[in-house]
Amino acid sequence: MIALLWGSVAAGAQSLSAEELFYGMRDKLEQVHDYVAEVKMKINISFMRVPVLHGKLYFKSPDKMKLERNGGISILPKKSISLTLNNLVPGGEATVIDAGRQIINGKSLRVIKVIPDSDQTDIVLTKIWVDEQRLLAIRTETTTRDNGTVTMDLKFGKYAALALPDEVIFYVDVKEFKVPKGVAMDYDPQAETRPVEASATGKPRKGTIKISYLSYEINKGLDDRIFTSEKN
Amino acid sequence: MKQLVKLELYKIFRRPRTYIAFGVIAAVTLIIEAALYADGNSFIQFALASVTEQFDLQGNIINGYLVTYIVLQSLIVNIPLLVALVAGDAIAGEANNGTLRLLLTKPITRAKLVWAKFLASVVYTLLLLLWLAIVSLGLSLLIFGTGDLINMKSDAMVLLLKDDVPWRYLAAFGFAALAMTSVAALSVLLSVFAENSIGPIVSTMGVILFFTIITNLGLPSFEVIKPYLMTTHMIAWKGFFNDPVPYGAILKSALVLTAYIFGFVLTTIIVFSKKDIKT
Amino acid sequence: MKPVISAKNLTKSFKEFKAVDDLSFSIEQGSVYGFLGENGAGKSTTMRMLLGLIRPDAGQVFIKGREFTSRRRYLLKYVGAIIERPDLYGFLSGWDNLRMMALLSRKPIRRKQLYEVLELVGLRGREQDKVKDYSQGMKQRLGIAIALVHEPDLLILDEPTNGLDPQGIAEMRSLILKLSREHQKTILVSSHLLYEIEQIATQMLIIHRGKKVIEGNVAELLDPKETLFDIRMEPDDMVLRSLRESRWQPYVAEAGQGMLTMKMHPRQMPELNRWLVHQHAAILEIRSRHSLEAYFLSLTHEAAR
Repeated sequence: MIALLWGSVAAGAQSLSAEELFYGMRDKLEQVHDYVAEVKMKINISFMRVPVLHGKLYFKSPDKMKLERNGGISILPKKSISLTLNNLVPGGEATVIDAGRQIINGKSLRVIKVIPDSDQTDIVLTKIWVDEQRLLAIRTETTTRDNGTVTMDLKFGKYAALALPDEVIFYVDVKEFKVPKGVAMDYDPQAETRPVEASATGKPRKGTIKISYLSYEINKGLDDRIFTSEKN
Repeated sequence: MKQLVKLELYKIFRRPRTYIAFGVIAAVTLIIEAALYADGNSFIQFALASVTEQFDLQGNIINGYLVTYIVLQSLIVNIPLLVALVAGDAIAGEANNGTLRLLLTKPITRAKLVWAKFLASVVYTLLLLLWLAIVSLGLSLLIFGTGDLINMKSDAMVLLLKDDVPWRYLAAFGFAALAMTSVAALSVLLSVFAENSIGPIVSTMGVILFFTIITNLGLPSFEVIKPYLMTTHMIAWKGFFNDPVPYGAILKSALVLTAYIFGFVLTTIIVFSKKDIKT
Repeated sequence: MKPVISAKNLTKSFKEFKAVDDLSFSIEQGSVYGFLGENGAGKSTTMRMLLGLIRPDAGQVFIKGREFTSRRRYLLKYVGAIIERPDLYGFLSGWDNLRMMALLSRKPIRRKQLYEVLELVGLRGREQDKVKDYSQGMKQRLGIAIALVHEPDLLILDEPTNGLDPQGIAEMRSLILKLSREHQKTILVSSHLLYEIEQIATQMLIIHRGKKVIEGNVAELLDPKETLFDIRMEPDDMVLRSLRESRWQPYVAEAGQGMLTMKMHPRQMPELNRWLVHQHAAILEIRSRHSLEAYFLSLTHEAAR
């Protein structure tokens, strides 16, 4: 009865503090030390025409990552804006600020801002939209020192208990695309008919990278060497 | 006719000069392959700087498919010269040698002789491309292995999955064969007007170079004629490495080139049939 | 007899220059037809028109009585030719050159025939050598082998002795005579030298500046009665006076100081010689030439001027 009551209170307004939410969520994340996931990756960036990439995504806590494509070329955003939530939520002590509520996709979410106490990390500020009931981050917006702002939308399913998403969409800022002269290998019969993108040049453009996780193998104890092999 | 083509081929392949082209292709390919083998990573860093600034690219980037693409990119511009080396000699060389009048006192029509010479030049061209395929694609795959192909275009990086690449090379070489056939036809045509073989070789290259410059200049006044130049369409083989493949444009290019080929051959026949053989 | 080849009113200009001007002639079966003219007289242009290498501006060519241009491919089977130099594929052997050209003649030709024709021109044993290593005479003979290999009725040989050494010239001459006599070929042979034509031809045509000058039977044109004798002697008015009063008067072609030219049959020469000696003429030299040669030389000199 009490539990039920507590539960209803929890479902109600402001039952957990911002800090409790953050550390609760992080504890959940920290259950996972490593995983290998079958993934499908769709890159949607104006200057990258890349088909859906299938591969194995290796992760090891705290920040090791690798996409293996069975001999193919793997494309990942730069390491510091890594692809998993585990990397985007600051570790160590942090200052957590309550930023109210916001409705996203018809769901009311708590918004918290996290500022790492250490100034050694690349992350300056992370804004997290949290599903209170499930203690899951549905959206994050991380501002980094060197790599701009990365926004990430997450969808959870089977692995929600371990805070591992089924689908992640990154919104990244992309800089202008320039190919050194003589390198471009062009044939553009429709050059004239293509929409002019002049207005966009110079300004940062948005792109998305969608990763669908098809299955996970969790906490099998991955060797560090997996991440260092294959220097290319 | 078959007999005549066979005789022309016999003449082509009994001459040392014919093999220069094969040697050049092998040499250039090997040099590029060696250079990429030794120094491929820095080239890739340079070429992909715009991408690697923001993304981590890992895997066998310098694979056989990419190396082949680089080889083709740098060599295909020069293949017309190698085609002209033989095709431009087809009629002019015999005129220069004096053997043309010997041939023409035999009971064969001049039209047939032109066709035979053109077809023999085409066979030579195809063998040249086959050789190019062997030393570029075959050797590169042997040395560098397979992998996904990164095609750097001026506005985008296109990544093609490795299983999606072989058919593109097949199609690209097929198209290149058509493009080089148009060069062969042009050379044979120019060959009618000259009485030494240097003329047609140089003028073929001149025409190709001139048109290529016009194609690449991008000046508005040239845009009007651009769609009609053969050089605009000769590079359509690259279309097969786009995603999606611009089939419509490639087909159009193929038709334009085919029209050029027949135009050149028929003009050759008309001019040659009327020509007084004075050498 | 039906002519093997005939030309009717052939005319050809190159820009302003009229190379061949309204030229007509016909060549009968079995004859060796000499085509004489100095260099640039239009011989080669005419021969090229006969073979369809050059299109005439006007006029027609008939081979075996049939108009040539419309049936070129069919009629060329009956013709074998060497035009100017016998240019061949130097990077191929003599055998390969011959075999290749045989294949182009649209007649089935057996290996044995190739050997026979090599034997005929005297190249047997050298056929595997590369043509670029051949002497000029060998090239010329291979050229003739190629012209002969498909057994044509008519041979067209343009200056076949050009560039040959004296022995080569003699060999070529006997080959042409052999082809005519033993193989019954009709032969059209051109030259800029009268004595060459004189030695092999039965019929002859002289052209000058693209126009026909003389045509006829060589024996008749070179009638011995028309022989000219140039007699060089010490100037002696007495002798000349007696000559004019003697029975030799009708034979005097030209009389001058120290030089006397007589036109007569060579048989009469010994007698004239005795008569001159009897008149105490101091004869320094006697040279004979044919009046046609003199005439031809005058044309050549005129052209040279």
